[in-house]
Amino acid sequence: MSGPAFGYCRAADAGDALIQGARPGAAFLAGGTDLMQLWKMGVATPDRVVDISRLPLSAVTADGSRLSIGALARLSDVAAHPLVSRDYPLIAQAILAGASGQIRNMATVGGNLLQRTRCPYFRTEDLACNKRMAGSGCGALAGQNRQSALFGASAACVATHVSDLAVALMALDARVEILGLGGPRRLGLSGFYRLPGDTPERETNLASGELITGVSVDSGDRFATRSTYLKVRDRASFEFAVVSVAAALQLEDGVIVDARLAAGGVAPMPWRLVRGEAALIGRRPDAPAFAAAGALAVEGAKPLAHNGFKIELLRRAVIRALETVTAQTAAAQTIGGDA
Amino acid sequence: MSDDGRIALSLTLNGQPLEVDVAPCDTLLDLLRDQLGLTGTKKGCDMGACGACTVLANGRRIKSCLALAAAYDGEAIITIEGIGTLEHPHPLQAAFIRHDALQCGYCTPGQILSGIALLEDKPRALAAISEGMSGNLCRCGAYPNIVAAIAELAGL
Amino acid sequence: MNPQSTPRWEAALKVTGQAVFPAEVQAEGLLHAVLVGAPIASGQVLSIDAAQARLTPGFADLVSYPEAEPLRASSVTALIREPVIYFPGQPVALVVAESLIAARAAAHAVRVTYEQQPAVSALDQVLDQAYAPAMAGRIPAASRRGDSETALADAYLVVRERYETAVNNHHPMEPHAVVCSWDGALVTVHTNTQAVFGTRAAIAHAFRMPLEDARVIARFLGGGFGCKGQLWWPWMMLAMLASRRTGRPVRLELTRAQLFTLAGRRQETVQDMALGFGVDGRLTAIEHHVLAQTSANAEYSDTTAGVSRWLYACPNVTTSHRLVRTNEPQPIPMRAPGVAPGTFALESALDEAAMRLGLDPVDLRARNYADHDQDAGRPWSSNNLLECYRVGAERFGWSRRPAPGTAIDGCWRIGWGMATTCYPAHRQPCRARVRLEADASLLVQCGTQDMGSGTYTVMGQMAAEALGVPMSRVTVELGDTLLPEGPFSGGSQVTASLSPAVAMATTALRGRLAAMAVADPESPLAGYKPEDLDFENGMIRARTSNVAEPLADLLARREPEGLEAEGSSDGPDREGQAFTGMGFGAVFVEVGVDPDLGETRVRRVCGAFAAGRILNPLLANSQYVGGLIGGIGMALHERTVTDRASGRILGDGFADYLIPTHADIPRFDIAMVEEHDPLLPGGVKGIGMLGTAGVQAAIANAVFHAVGKRVRHLPIRIEDLIGD
Repeated sequence: MSGPAFGYCRAADAGDALIQGARPGAAFLAGGTDLMQLWKMGVATPDRVVDISRLPLSAVTADGSRLSIGALARLSDVAAHPLVSRDYPLIAQAILAGASGQIRNMATVGGNLLQRTRCPYFRTEDLACNKRMAGSGCGALAGQNRQSALFGASAACVATHVSDLAVALMALDARVEILGLGGPRRLGLSGFYRLPGDTPERETNLASGELITGVSVDSGDRFATRSTYLKVRDRASFEFAVVSVAAALQLEDGVIVDARLAAGGVAPMPWRLVRGEAALIGRRPDAPAFAAAGALAVEGAKPLAHNGFKIELLRRAVIRALETVTAQTAAAQTIGGDA
Repeated sequence: MSDDGRIALSLTLNGQPLEVDVAPCDTLLDLLRDQLGLTGTKKGCDMGACGACTVLANGRRIKSCLALAAAYDGEAIITIEGIGTLEHPHPLQAAFIRHDALQCGYCTPGQILSGIALLEDKPRALAAISEGMSGNLCRCGAYPNIVAAIAELAGL
Repeated sequence: MNPQSTPRWEAALKVTGQAVFPAEVQAEGLLHAVLVGAPIASGQVLSIDAAQARLTPGFADLVSYPEAEPLRASSVTALIREPVIYFPGQPVALVVAESLIAARAAAHAVRVTYEQQPAVSALDQVLDQAYAPAMAGRIPAASRRGDSETALADAYLVVRERYETAVNNHHPMEPHAVVCSWDGALVTVHTNTQAVFGTRAAIAHAFRMPLEDARVIARFLGGGFGCKGQLWWPWMMLAMLASRRTGRPVRLELTRAQLFTLAGRRQETVQDMALGFGVDGRLTAIEHHVLAQTSANAEYSDTTAGVSRWLYACPNVTTSHRLVRTNEPQPIPMRAPGVAPGTFALESALDEAAMRLGLDPVDLRARNYADHDQDAGRPWSSNNLLECYRVGAERFGWSRRPAPGTAIDGCWRIGWGMATTCYPAHRQPCRARVRLEADASLLVQCGTQDMGSGTYTVMGQMAAEALGVPMSRVTVELGDTLLPEGPFSGGSQVTASLSPAVAMATTALRGRLAAMAVADPESPLAGYKPEDLDFENGMIRARTSNVAEPLADLLARREPEGLEAEGSSDGPDREGQAFTGMGFGAVFVEVGVDPDLGETRVRRVCGAFAAGRILNPLLANSQYVGGLIGGIGMALHERTVTDRASGRILGDGFADYLIPTHADIPRFDIAMVEEHDPLLPGGVKGIGMLGTAGVQAAIANAVFHAVGKRVRHLPIRIEDLIGD
């Protein structure tokens, strides 16, 4: 049942937002797609929402080889933006694989990075969940855990992060632009998120009252023709990933010189598959290399009762994603006629 | 915000200016159905997962059950009541009738508004329509006829 | 377009948002209601403290056990009269307030104490307590013909396997709702029920009032599928109590999450199936034993093993149903109840047998065609199943079926599968009124309701065709207990029940009009024989000449107030009946399975169905396709999950309970095999359920054909297909 009534105010500017947001019980409202659900489920109980949706933080710009996306850019606008669809198709693909057209018109980039887990124990009032109620236990650990994490979980929490966009941004080494009362700062996406440990309620290193103002990616456009986002799910659309993989390769003289692999639906944060990446560097993009990357990508996975299949699924998804990237390359070569 | 915590909004609703006040936690769907009696917009899940509550806000389709009404101050909202009438239906409404693109009719207003927005994107294949409409669930299973109705207007 | 394929009568109202569903009825001074649910799975309510709730701004009233206690005791009122908790989420009180937000806040503030008792949260926890109910749906729970044990021992081939199906929930897009108001002793109840008359009877019984003091109205229903029936009545009655106490109209709408617990479910099944065959591929034995869940407070069993009794010719058949009580929500019929899970087991096992016998799956089924109902020992009223196999196979291209595992499209392995479906033809007593106004427009009335299946249309169409009035001049009124009593909407029976009643009324009107015309010296038809007159385009026309008169002219002279007639039909007396009415069909499916990633997508479905006379092919096509899509959901997506520790439903929304989306929909080809049933009234059988069964097994069989993996449980998911 929904949480108690809350108050509403609209932030006049970023400074005002920080002041309003610093009050206890305040929650920022951007697209509202996740916050409203959480409030209706009784999981989020803000005293007041601070509407930041109209702050001028929605631009998509390129500066040299840096792509900057405002935190309040709507997902559908980002995916359709020519800079993104042309030079960062991985981002566009990941966005379009998520949610529905209506949700993508509402949801923002910053909100998407912060969306809460879909673990049903988190989203059902009264069930054991350390993330929702510290010390209440983790119902998923010994309960239903098909969607739980393979990596990075703790005894306190096995929930997964479910954003598609964040997986693509993780693969591209994106950075999060943050504004606080003390001024702006910047965190790499991997440093932005936290693993649950003993404090699963803290999912990011964003301080209370701090605002995401944007994300930026440096030199990601070199993957423009060799990237893909693969989302495996139970139905064809409008579902969170069972497992997803963002893959990007950079080749020189037919040899992989840079490889990016990140996975969704398998960890409390978008998960870089660094060992899988390492297995690819210096090799030709062929089946043995991909098999090695797949095998190494799942090393260290810790299954629970119902999610063990995701280890093999992730291994195969990594291989499939790399094959898709290579097929694109082959197609591009055929069309372009260059090597 | 007024003393009793209600918030005054100015909307353009189905082409007409509207001054209305809402509670801070009212959704756009609550405003339409409960306060304004515009019940053509449906409440199916109230969690953004079924699409029955789809309306257009500044020309873009959104799920009104997740839209905080106060956040839409100044915007132009179009609901099913603003699309067409019994006497003068919108071409997509007429196509829905011809293709029998509805059974119980509860998801239908959302499907139509979603379809109208999708047609603006000029879908070029049936698969693009199906994928683009997947935010609108239908339990009776009118899906193929819905896609056929949209495809007809898309010239496919 | 076929002239009978008239568009849905109420479509314009629905596409413009003008159709008013029960929750949307406007009422002055409306109060909003919210249910307070128990967090525990089993126990007693010790106390309900509303002190804090009463202080909530906008609070109007709270009703609970003491307020409901004066209602007459029955299985319907037990849950609101007796403070016993049988499943988590069971409501213990209802709060009404000036706004929904205020009602939620007040409900939050209600303090309830419980004495908790041990609970059973899963069927497999108490297998030793399984018991045999007397009935499974409408038939006895156990059956035996011949000697299946001996026949299995002697069989050339035995297929013995276990098949399982998950809990499903109905999830009509429109949640249950009521808007009720009292005027003295009279109550008006707008509620989305599949049975306005049944709802009225339940209200009158519970509130100890005469039937005529309660009016139940359901003009439109946003789907039902079996769940808008009696499980909703207790919660509806709490709202009625609050309305009576406050003297104000009250609205209660269930939340989507509550549809998982308060409105019924398709029970999960564990089915042990054994098929015995002779060397010629003929069935010598069937054993079909079903174990299923029912709730702690009520007994329900689907007719799951019924199909094994009647679908095929077999001399030795033993079936049984057993139930296990758990502290989970109550199961009730859902879309093709019994037949959907039952055909999954039977038709999967037949496919396994076909492989082992080296026979084509269609051929195997045709060899075992039942030329009469062997269960009841009587003929079919009609059975064109063999023609369904032939037509379906031809349109699907079955003869070009590739060798297993050889058809590939990119990442997808392509598989073809098929299965048989059937559904009994039910009828109920029904009355209908047809009124011809002085301007020759038609008003057709019946108290039954339209869930979305097309009742408005076919009813108007039947009357319009009989009286030669264009559909544009027809008004249909349904869903009101002030109208002539019609059947409940369930079991695909409404059209079959309505059809003879409407025919009787229109026949009476035609007779009176014809007699009037030939006897009227002012009519150009004076002196003709009544039996030589036809009704078309608003005219009465002599078949033997060009002479005609507009109906309106005749009426203006002779019946300026208009003319009306009522018709009625009886339900079938099942025991006394000399034949069995049953619809049949064959479903052919093409799936793609990605063997690496485990994803399954249905690509193409051809259904060939023989279900009597089809009144409106356009709407019938929609019904069949809709049923098939429901079956695809059951096969690949739908699964309600209970947390074993707490007994709570996990993921109680559309984000987790997956139903097919637009993108999951294959190409459909529906073949309606012509069938003239000489015995059923009007030759009409129900079609709504027929498409919902069979397709599950066809999909499982196609998956096996594609990748060689036999999945014996539903839904079939990624993890079932990527293992070794």
